[in-house]
Amino acid sequence: MTTTQTQAAAQLPIENPGEAYKRRKTTRGNFELYSWVFMRASGVVLLVLIFVHLFVNLVAGEGITAIDFGFVAGKWASPFWQVIDLVMLWLAMLHGTNGMRTIVNDYAERDGLRMWLKIALYTAFVVVTVLGTLVIFTFDPCPADAPANLLPSFCTA
Amino acid sequence: MSTLMENTTSSPGPETGAETGGGMGEIPSFDVTLRIRRYSPETHGDEAYWQEFTVTAYGTDRLLDALHKVKWDVDGSLTFRRSCAHGVCGSDAMRINGRNRLACKVLLKDLNPDKPILVEPLKGLPVKKDLVVDMEPFFASYREIMPFLITGGNEPTRERLQSAEQRERFDDTTKCILCAACTSSCPVFWTDGQYFGPAAIVNAHRFIFDSRDDGAAQRLEILNDKEGVWRCRTIFNCSEACPRGIEITKAIKEVKRAMITRAF
Amino acid sequence: MQTHQYDVVIVGAGGAGMRAALESSKRTRTAVISKLYPTRSHTGAAQGGMCAALANVEEDNWEWHTFDTVKGGDYLVDQDAAEVMAKEAIDAVLDLEKMGLPFNRTPEGKIDQRRFGGHTRNHGEAAVRRSCYAADRTGHMILQTLYQQCVKNDVQFFNEFYVLDVLLSHDLTSGTVPDGQEVAVSGVVAYELATGEIHLFRAKSVVFATGGAGKIYKTTSNAQTLTGDGMALAFRRGIPLEDMEFFQFHPTGLAGLGILLSEAARGEGGILRNSDGERFMERYAPTIKDLAPRDIVARSMANEVREGRGAGPNKDYVLLDLTHLEPAHIDAKLPDITEFARTYLGIEPYTEPVPVYPTAHYAMGGIPTNILGEVLRNNTDTVRGLYAAGEVACVSVHGSNRLGTNSLLDINVFGKRSGIAAAEYALGADWVEMPEEPEVGVVAELERMRTLPSGERLAHVRQDLQNTMDANAQVFRTEESLRQALADIRALQERYRHVSVQDKGKVYNLDLLEALELGFLLDISEVVVVGALNRQESRGGHFREDFPKRDDANYMQHTMAYRRPSAATAAAGQSPSGPGTSAPGAFDVVLGYKPVVMTRYEPMERKY
Repeated sequence: MTTTQTQAAAQLPIENPGEAYKRRKTTRGNFELYSWVFMRASGVVLLVLIFVHLFVNLVAGEGITAIDFGFVAGKWASPFWQVIDLVMLWLAMLHGTNGMRTIVNDYAERDGLRMWLKIALYTAFVVVTVLGTLVIFTFDPCPADAPANLLPSFCTA
Repeated sequence: MSTLMENTTSSPGPETGAETGGGMGEIPSFDVTLRIRRYSPETHGDEAYWQEFTVTAYGTDRLLDALHKVKWDVDGSLTFRRSCAHGVCGSDAMRINGRNRLACKVLLKDLNPDKPILVEPLKGLPVKKDLVVDMEPFFASYREIMPFLITGGNEPTRERLQSAEQRERFDDTTKCILCAACTSSCPVFWTDGQYFGPAAIVNAHRFIFDSRDDGAAQRLEILNDKEGVWRCRTIFNCSEACPRGIEITKAIKEVKRAMITRAF
Repeated sequence: MQTHQYDVVIVGAGGAGMRAALESSKRTRTAVISKLYPTRSHTGAAQGGMCAALANVEEDNWEWHTFDTVKGGDYLVDQDAAEVMAKEAIDAVLDLEKMGLPFNRTPEGKIDQRRFGGHTRNHGEAAVRRSCYAADRTGHMILQTLYQQCVKNDVQFFNEFYVLDVLLSHDLTSGTVPDGQEVAVSGVVAYELATGEIHLFRAKSVVFATGGAGKIYKTTSNAQTLTGDGMALAFRRGIPLEDMEFFQFHPTGLAGLGILLSEAARGEGGILRNSDGERFMERYAPTIKDLAPRDIVARSMANEVREGRGAGPNKDYVLLDLTHLEPAHIDAKLPDITEFARTYLGIEPYTEPVPVYPTAHYAMGGIPTNILGEVLRNNTDTVRGLYAAGEVACVSVHGSNRLGTNSLLDINVFGKRSGIAAAEYALGADWVEMPEEPEVGVVAELERMRTLPSGERLAHVRQDLQNTMDANAQVFRTEESLRQALADIRALQERYRHVSVQDKGKVYNLDLLEALELGFLLDISEVVVVGALNRQESRGGHFREDFPKRDDANYMQHTMAYRRPSAATAAAGQSPSGPGTSAPGAFDVVLGYKPVVMTRYEPMERKY
């Protein structure tokens, strides 16, 4: 038997040599359980909502050419569509934010980075959700001070 | 930084060649190259490095045999754990060509001989020396899930009765040998080592679904932790890595289901 | 160096060690020291089952079990011990069930039982279903269950610590300690593998549960780590070893590899065939055929091969045929061993017979103990506070040949007994003064090994040892082959003085560990061969071709091997007692005898 050996170039240092192990703290309560169930349930509901949304907005009637401020205003004149879009907004934002939170937990290794990423994530969630909710309920297709060329035809000055 | 060592020809003992042949005459042999990730802070500083060894192997040789040849004939300082050498003790789990395997269950003839075989320590556990990792984090999370039968009421004089079907319910997860191949194949565990890991959940499963056990509620409560079963992303790395063929991801799923059933 | 103080220190964390720890830690402060993580112990490799006369599936009682054990051991069994074991077997199995062990079940939900080699109804009428089992993973389940209970009871483990010396109040190697003199244990010296640090464990009781020594042979079912450490440590301190010439060769090891295929394969209906397809066991054991005790089956197989009826291209193995069994039945009862055949030999047992050949499996002998687990330093005196259980011990319940499943029974019954006895002794005993600087010998030996100039590789010495043991002291032995083996061992002991340890570090220096283990293997091999040379008869696992008959007139007694200074050493006035190896020729293996305890059964010819 012949045996040869060669030593290859040095590689990356080994990660975390000798780092002590301690589960930081235990949590009680069902938050993660509910969050897990929510992800599955909201995913199914969103699938329905999004396809309905796409169909109504892009396919039904005159299709994509019909979309303008007036079309949106027309929809949100009905409480039904307001609720539908509100539900879609909230579910999508919660689903997406929770998904991002999971990804941050899985991939951000340092606690500090994790914290900042989550602060950014939650801030974005609050801004988008609050703004979106406001828009759904306060949408005005004919704002008072807007230049006339941006307004739909049915707006009376 | 590393110096290139001169090629050395070792002089093996006269019987080395017949090691696994059992005196069965001419056996076809072939050369394999091992590319081993080594780490020895005492002698080589704080950085890991790769080292290659070429050894001659025979038809029934396992990777463990090749590692032994290196240790016994070339470099005695190569360090790895091993004991039973046939896949029941769980000592020699390591990363082989990027996958977690027991070195004693990988036959060299099943690996591509044209490329060096990459041999690395398990990932996500602190490396102590060469292929030896600190198993304490792994066993610590095992101990946390109360891996023992919990019973209430009076102890019967004879055995507790259990039907063959009830016994079958948790058969798969009784096979675990605590080799850590699953837990250390899980990317969620790699991140920060806080996740309980597949092995701990497998061992909880073994008792949660044992008809004689009364501690299911406590174990489910423990695994309901934010580092518990909900961190499983069902990527099946663990099932793929298990040398005992346990359907680990399925077991984790069953534990999740038991928790949801309990909560709603 | 660190010093620890425990009432009881248990060395070894396999089945016997953990069973003892469960009892002892309930009663007093206990530490378990193990060179492996507990779940790596070789108990986990046991497959077939654990016999107890539960009578769950057919009529059975402990007295039949006792008889089978005595007869299986070719009447060299101490019958009082066998009786204890067979009686307590029932509770041992029920204890394990209550700890959670997942036994296979009968349709009524009771523990299922199956046939096993040598276990018969009514003193040999027919095979009986006595072995309680969990598929072919019974040992795995026992090891896991015991470890689980240790976790539950918060047993203190020192994992990856290697015990290198046992401290006694007297130097027994000198051979001058008079009979009746009280000798006591005071602790052990251990080496921490992770750091290279020495730890001194002071203890009132020490339990040895370090397992076997299968690595003296090349072809063995034993783990790499089974190197007779406990036996050799005791022997080096002057404690005798009993019946070491009796080594069991398990009939069905995977040919060429030695990996164990359980006797359960035959218990479930597997058949051994030679190259002609003949069921040859019908000729050797007409009544129970393939389920004859292991020594008989192993010898029959070796004989078939010797007479040219072996299978394979080199006619050097026989075949284990499972092809007539339903695949579903095989999967349910023998999943692991069939996977071994597939993984390691690429054989599909559903359709092809599996090549098998005897493999070194179990040391019947070991550190002599009484039925409480107390270690004997001669035929009658015990060493106060020192206990042994499991394969390292010789109670002797196995005599010259152990029956299948009786080892799992042994570790549970005598592990429990020695755990209780050690704790109770510790509760009533005073601390024994330790010798001054008790670690000096170990430190010097480690330092010597680590700093030897580059010399021969230790693996080559070990390979040569294993080869000579396989060639000369295996299933068939003769005066000539044994003399050859002894000469080889003496030469290897000399070579061992100059082997080099390449790893000079302190952290996980497993190279150094292997060197120390090799020293133990050499000592144990010498005892095995000296005992085998002396025993000019054939009995159980020891078969002398030059003396093929059992000789009750001269050899119906246990061999006791002592390490005593050789004439040269004595003349020089030295007594180089110590934990390390010593120069070849400094000591002799001196043999004595111990009578066999007989209670119920007169020796008869052993026929199956």
